[in-house]
Amino acid sequence: MSNLHLDVKQMIIEALDLEDIEADDISDSDPLFVDGLGLDSIDALEIGLALQKRYGIKLKADSDETRQHFASVNALVALIQSQAEK
Amino acid sequence: MKGLIPLCDWLNQAPAHPVAISHDGPVGHDAFTQQVARCYWQLSSAKPGQRWAVYHADTLVFLAWVLALWQRGCTVCVPGDNRPGTNQRLSTRVSGFVGDYPVELSSVDHASNEIVSIPEWRALDTGFPALEIYTSGSTGEPKPVQKTFTQLQSELEALEALWPDHHDAVIVTTVTHQHLYGLTFRLFWPLCRGQLFESSQCQFSEEIFQRAHQYAHFSLVSTPSHLSRFNPVLDWDEVEPRCVAVVSSAAPLMREDSLAVAALLHAPVREIYGSSETGALAWRIQGDREESPWQLLPGVQGELTADATLKISAPQVTDGCQTLSDRVVMATDGRFRLLGRTDRIAKIEGKRVSLVEIEQQAEQLPLIKLARSLVLSGRRTEVGLVAELTDEGNRTLQSDGKRALVQQLKAALSRCFEPVVLPRRWRFVSHMPYNAQGKITVESLKTLFQADSTKWPSILSQTAEAASAELMLHVPASLIYFDGHFAGNPILPGITQVHWAAHYGRELLGVDGVFCRLEAAKFQQVIFPESQVRLELEYQAEKNKLVFRYVSDKGGHSSGRICFS
Repeated sequence: MSNLHLDVKQMIIEALDLEDIEADDISDSDPLFVDGLGLDSIDALEIGLALQKRYGIKLKADSDETRQHFASVNALVALIQSQAEK
Repeated sequence: MKGLIPLCDWLNQAPAHPVAISHDGPVGHDAFTQQVARCYWQLSSAKPGQRWAVYHADTLVFLAWVLALWQRGCTVCVPGDNRPGTNQRLSTRVSGFVGDYPVELSSVDHASNEIVSIPEWRALDTGFPALEIYTSGSTGEPKPVQKTFTQLQSELEALEALWPDHHDAVIVTTVTHQHLYGLTFRLFWPLCRGQLFESSQCQFSEEIFQRAHQYAHFSLVSTPSHLSRFNPVLDWDEVEPRCVAVVSSAAPLMREDSLAVAALLHAPVREIYGSSETGALAWRIQGDREESPWQLLPGVQGELTADATLKISAPQVTDGCQTLSDRVVMATDGRFRLLGRTDRIAKIEGKRVSLVEIEQQAEQLPLIKLARSLVLSGRRTEVGLVAELTDEGNRTLQSDGKRALVQQLKAALSRCFEPVVLPRRWRFVSHMPYNAQGKITVESLKTLFQADSTKWPSILSQTAEAASAELMLHVPASLIYFDGHFAGNPILPGITQVHWAAHYGRELLGVDGVFCRLEAAKFQQVIFPESQVRLELEYQAEKNKLVFRYVSDKGGHSSGRICFS
């Protein structure tokens, strides 16, 4: 697990005030929504805001694309890395 | 003021203008009526007087089915979701399902892409029960609410009388039409005014921003869930001149959130108060100085009952009159403030849910013996669930751990509930926290959740009588008090034990006053991380002393008397 992976997991736990869960419990590749971590649409909004605050990420207006970025920790890490390169 | 097109005869009376904006641009009147006709011919098995369920994420697809079913003489049932549990419950109530349903439920003829003939549209009887929607009843069973065209139209007329302006603004929205609020504000009202609406909903602020850019004027129909999480960093100055109004409903919007959105979009934030049973009833726009009270919509009369609830009379309300379940305080001018509900219906991020229904569904699971749920307000509004497990549940807890158990229970409940209302915090107790009267109070349930795992033990069970209480505590290794006390050999400090005893004494036995001294303190055996201890409390009210004792199967750990003044 890279530092960024760990950082993203901690961001998720803090932003969503999740209980009974540690960064180690979150898989890099499992889905965050519905299955896996079981997050919901309000969590998606919170993650969007947290990404903005922590990494300065601007989401695209395309919700399908955003949904793909939010699919897993790996996808979020890829999003952060791709914006950092710009 | 331009009159509204009657909903019951929209197909005949709508002007030849575009109806809505889809992903591919504006959808013209002819293209849309063609779509309604196609739905109509696919519904050859629908008989007058039947009820049919319609669910689809796209508002225009949904609307085409709705209009076609009305032409077939059917009442349209609008479920809030298409989860298996919801479909199963509906299957005894409806004759068919159309829209986004599994093939085995779908009950229509094969769709054709060819041009079909337009049937002769008929004007529908205004007394016809056009819609059936479902709302959480206090018994736990979802309750059907029917709406006639007259009721729907009265609500729209009241809104139009209050806000007759901005027919040229496109409706951009974050809400679904599968609930009455969305149905009214993002679909029927614009449809009957000839105002364009977007056929899909937005999720993120970025989408609202981008879509708003495309229109000369827009109006945003949203909820407190979205408006309170509005992203302020976007360049709202660019779209602000295009925004004519923001509408918010489903739950009260915090005043600061309302003012923040109003400032970003430079438009009034119109809040709506209502319910599925009554439709929209009242409105407010927050003022700069203080919380604005609610005012009834034109044509709605409200009267304060002896129980401090509102009795509403209006043509849009079922049977013309209904007493609401919110307690209110009313000023002499008839404006009012809300004080909370009188029943066990909760609003979780704008979604209404019956706590009784959550408990009933949880208790049907083989892992749970007894369940109590409550609303917790922390970072967000959420449901907490306290459960006594069955033997099987306890075995799962021990073998798989709490997280795996919670995941399994959530997955089972998600058959019947939307993700947002699923319990997010769980406590498994060996006994429910009954009080001396044999009741489980919300306060005692709340204490189970207040425990911050770094400062408090987790409560496995608790019982309280008038002057004594007993708590079974688990002392987690994560407590901050173990840090450096002592390095390599952590034990629970005596002062922490006293502090906990005083805290639970105040909470459970109503101990009052300021801590002044400790008497007869004895610390016989140390308490290690991850141990389980019983805390016994006895309050001697006449002396204002709280006697405490920590015991476990190893015997007594500590005891003493805390004196208060």
